[in-house]
Amino acid sequence: MANKPEKKIIVVGGGLSGLMATLKICEDGGKVDLFSYCPVKRSHSLCAQGGMNACMDTKGEHDSIYEHFDDTVYGGDFLADQLAVKGMVEAAPKLVHMFDRMGVPFTRTPEGVLDLRNFGGQKNKRTVFAGSTTGQQLLYALDEQVRRWEVKGGVKKYEFWEFIKIIKNKDGVCRGIVAQNMNSNEIQAFPADVVILATGGPGQVYGRCTASTICNGSAVSAVYQQGAEIGNPEFLQIHPTAIPGSDKNRLMSEACRGEGGRVWVYRKNPQTGEKERWYFLEDMYPAYGNLVPRDVASRAIYKVVVHMGLGMTNPNRVYLDLSHIPADYLEHKLGGILEMYDDFVGQDPRKVPMEIFPSIHYSMGGIWVDREHHTNIPGLMASGECDYQYHGANRLGANSLLSATYSGTISGPEALRLARSGKLGDALTSEELEAARKECVEEFDKIRNMNGAENAHQMHHELGDIMYKYVSIERDNNGLKQCMKELHALLKRWDNIGVTDHGNWANQEAMFVRQLRNMIIYAMAITKSALQRDESRGAHAKIVLKSDYDSWDAAKQKAFDEKNGKYHFDAETGRAMTDDGNDDLLFFGRDDEKFMRTTVVSFDAANNEPEVTYREFEHSLIKPRLRNYAVAKKE
Amino acid sequence: MFHTTFYVRRLHSLVGLLALGMVLFEHIFTNSMALGGAPALNGALAMMELIPKPIFLGLEIGAIAAPLLFHAIYGIYICLQAKNNPGRYGYVRNWQFALQRWTAWFLVVFLVWHIFYLRIFTKGIAGTPISYELLQSYFVANPVYALLYILGMFAAIFHFCNGITTFCMTWGIAKGPRIQNVISLMSMGLCAVLCLVTLAFMGSYFVM
Amino acid sequence: MAEQKKVRFVIERQDGPDSAPYTQEFDVDYRPGLNVVAALMEIQKNPVTVDGKKVAPVVWECNCLEKVCGACMMVINGKARQACCSLIDNLEQPIRLQPARTFPVIRDLLIDRSVMFESLKRIQGWVEVDGSWDVKDAPIQNPYTAETAYEISHCMTCGCCMEACPNVGPQSDFIGPSPTVQAYLFNLHPLGKFDAPKRLNALMEKGGITSCGNSQNCVQACPKNIKLTTYLAQLNRDVNKQALKNIFNH
Repeated sequence: MANKPEKKIIVVGGGLSGLMATLKICEDGGKVDLFSYCPVKRSHSLCAQGGMNACMDTKGEHDSIYEHFDDTVYGGDFLADQLAVKGMVEAAPKLVHMFDRMGVPFTRTPEGVLDLRNFGGQKNKRTVFAGSTTGQQLLYALDEQVRRWEVKGGVKKYEFWEFIKIIKNKDGVCRGIVAQNMNSNEIQAFPADVVILATGGPGQVYGRCTASTICNGSAVSAVYQQGAEIGNPEFLQIHPTAIPGSDKNRLMSEACRGEGGRVWVYRKNPQTGEKERWYFLEDMYPAYGNLVPRDVASRAIYKVVVHMGLGMTNPNRVYLDLSHIPADYLEHKLGGILEMYDDFVGQDPRKVPMEIFPSIHYSMGGIWVDREHHTNIPGLMASGECDYQYHGANRLGANSLLSATYSGTISGPEALRLARSGKLGDALTSEELEAARKECVEEFDKIRNMNGAENAHQMHHELGDIMYKYVSIERDNNGLKQCMKELHALLKRWDNIGVTDHGNWANQEAMFVRQLRNMIIYAMAITKSALQRDESRGAHAKIVLKSDYDSWDAAKQKAFDEKNGKYHFDAETGRAMTDDGNDDLLFFGRDDEKFMRTTVVSFDAANNEPEVTYREFEHSLIKPRLRNYAVAKKE
Repeated sequence: MFHTTFYVRRLHSLVGLLALGMVLFEHIFTNSMALGGAPALNGALAMMELIPKPIFLGLEIGAIAAPLLFHAIYGIYICLQAKNNPGRYGYVRNWQFALQRWTAWFLVVFLVWHIFYLRIFTKGIAGTPISYELLQSYFVANPVYALLYILGMFAAIFHFCNGITTFCMTWGIAKGPRIQNVISLMSMGLCAVLCLVTLAFMGSYFVM
Repeated sequence: MAEQKKVRFVIERQDGPDSAPYTQEFDVDYRPGLNVVAALMEIQKNPVTVDGKKVAPVVWECNCLEKVCGACMMVINGKARQACCSLIDNLEQPIRLQPARTFPVIRDLLIDRSVMFESLKRIQGWVEVDGSWDVKDAPIQNPYTAETAYEISHCMTCGCCMEACPNVGPQSDFIGPSPTVQAYLFNLHPLGKFDAPKRLNALMEKGGITSCGNSQNCVQACPKNIKLTTYLAQLNRDVNKQALKNIFNH
């Protein structure tokens, strides 16, 4: 190894994906500068609870890798690159063995092998887990291994450093980054051979969500503004079961339902008129019951509460019930999250049903990458939740720990290969580095001295409200158009922010102002893509409006009429609704002909506008079929 | 790979429990003879005089002075490592932890006074043999000194008994919280008994 | 409408590592389920003290708000806790917030806990795997041992035990309960135990397990209910055995 020149890769983000990439690079003899907002051991990966999917087939169910592959593609409503997914599901069992060897304390069967549990959208037990804190345990294992490499000298950690932007050389190749120390506020430029972004999801764009406060998508938005393309940003997963809170919505794992939890509301029995518990998911989707994929469950809960007026309203809640399951079994399988419910709500979920509601949870979309995780900017790679790969229009539960880890095993070695290929052009000169640094210093100084009337945190709250109002479970084109207008107005108001902290030491306020602008711009990418995608697919469900209907040609109108029978358009909102007395909303169908394509968004800096185009992707292995969880998959 | 800190620290623990524990018990045993009046205590003291002088001196230096000096000096170092915080964390064990250190400070001062006055000045330099009469006249004439002696004994007894509990933890003898609790309760029981014995023999000087 | 109930916060602030601390008081609107982090977020939105003075928002660290990341540890009403799961309803008012001064203060409630991560290097807190590549199956493990490992592996390096421990701080070189007990975690693993002697020897060095004074505050302070004192006693036992081996095997 001594005769190989040591290449330096910058990895931004210390979650599962970033750490996995770091590990792979070190093992191959490269050097890593690892940047993170926080000590990498506190990265958001640790909030994953339920488990990680891998076909271990240790439960006598004849599970197969193909089945995992098919479940993932079907669950993602046929928008995921199938070759990428295939690679991931094939690697999954090996990754589980790797984690096991690294010391992840997986929950075990009485004979000491890894236990498996059920998870949404899958009929077989396929999810390995460590109680209900699997993400924490996996992250710690990689954190430990990276620490080992830190001692060996392969990794230099820059913790409490915020990524600001990438630096390109004169050929447009990304050869470094500018970052800021969050304590001293010192801004520095760092050269590298290749840069990997593994900065996670943009949950904070929605304010209250299941994501950590650090998951603001700011880094993704920054490179998007520098020319990186975003893929499928309109597909945001809304997790059906979260504990709503004013500071954040805390996740209540899908594992609750995997271990037998049931979702219900009170209703009057339609026949007898008596008050009863209605297990509506089991009623609506007999084949999968409570274990339908998340987009389906969230829509069902939303419909039952918001449109049918059942469950608790103001605030909106339904029950997630574990109280029928023996307490010691729950303690063994779900201990951590039950304690969390107790901590934050003050009630014991072993005894009373939990009160939950859907919340923004995960972004299937992200920076567009190819199967080797290169972005469209040479020298810049993306991996983990911040890329758009693997999940299509909806992610299956317990596939995120897998995709995060797997993407790191791809992006890491690929980054080193690219670094050694000699195709990256010239390294940055000290003048280029200094110029980039200076630009960021000036920008930061400007922010520090902003003296307007607006409070950035207040505006962030408003941003969340806007996004939840228009771009969440049910979307319609009028709302999305309105949303774009309001986002533009918000961006304008950004200029009028005032900061009270003008100092240059641990100035969290000024750093947040910078992040907020990036969040607003990312929100526009989400909204514009949702507006352009006139179909319903996975997490993106769009209501048909009168204006939509009027814009269609006669053939399309006819097809819609035939499919939906008797319906009318609501006079006030223009929404299509059934005539059967339930006023059920009518949605766009899936339009494979036009929209079985990846949304690709690039940034038009002149107008602060996203530009949406579509790109073909690989879907030759499994032919698209209708996605319906009311019946078993292969019927 | 010779872990000086480790061995010194473990030695500190052993010396405290075994050597100094013996010294403490010997003191309590001998002094409790005062309950039997002058003949009993003087008899017990005379028994010790039967040990040949060089051996006695050797024992005093090797089994008392050296361990005591080592335990005290290293103990001061240990005390300096602590920021006692029972005010914020008022758990029983934390109070015991703090008391262990406070009694240590008190004992250092008390023992210097005790050893210099009784062993070195009275017995060593002035050549006055220690006897029931001497102690009685000393305590009765100076009740404050008697009180200080009682406090000194209390401190030493608590320090020793709590030491038993921590010894069982430090040596990995008592692992779980239940057994640690049982041992702690038993040591505190012993502490109470020894304190009562102390009160009794110290009181006897004033009653008789 | 009844007047909005307020919650009073008395916050110990400090502008930089070497500045003198001072306190400021803030009022936050009460709402059910309010926790300390949520209250600090409200102060961010309107950083005005009770005297009506507009000040820089309070600086602190938080990530997950679910009690798994360990970031938001601070001293609340005198005790080290995670701010996110400290519900106002369970706290005596006014609520006093202070930085955990066992660690160097960076600003306000923000502290520097890097020493804990450094200690994890010292105890070799990892399993020496050959690499992240695939090598056959992983060994089968006793499910009961694995459960103990799971309990210890919940440690989120928050530093509550370090702040509560009277033997950790600038006056001492003790690496503290959390990193010490982590050594036991890796000694439990079927592959990790190959290096158990190394870890035990590391614990025998200055500032290692011998610096534990058995105040047992750690086990009371641990937000994850890890039985720290039990594992410390077990480690004491292991370390003593290792010491005998060191003496008699060479």
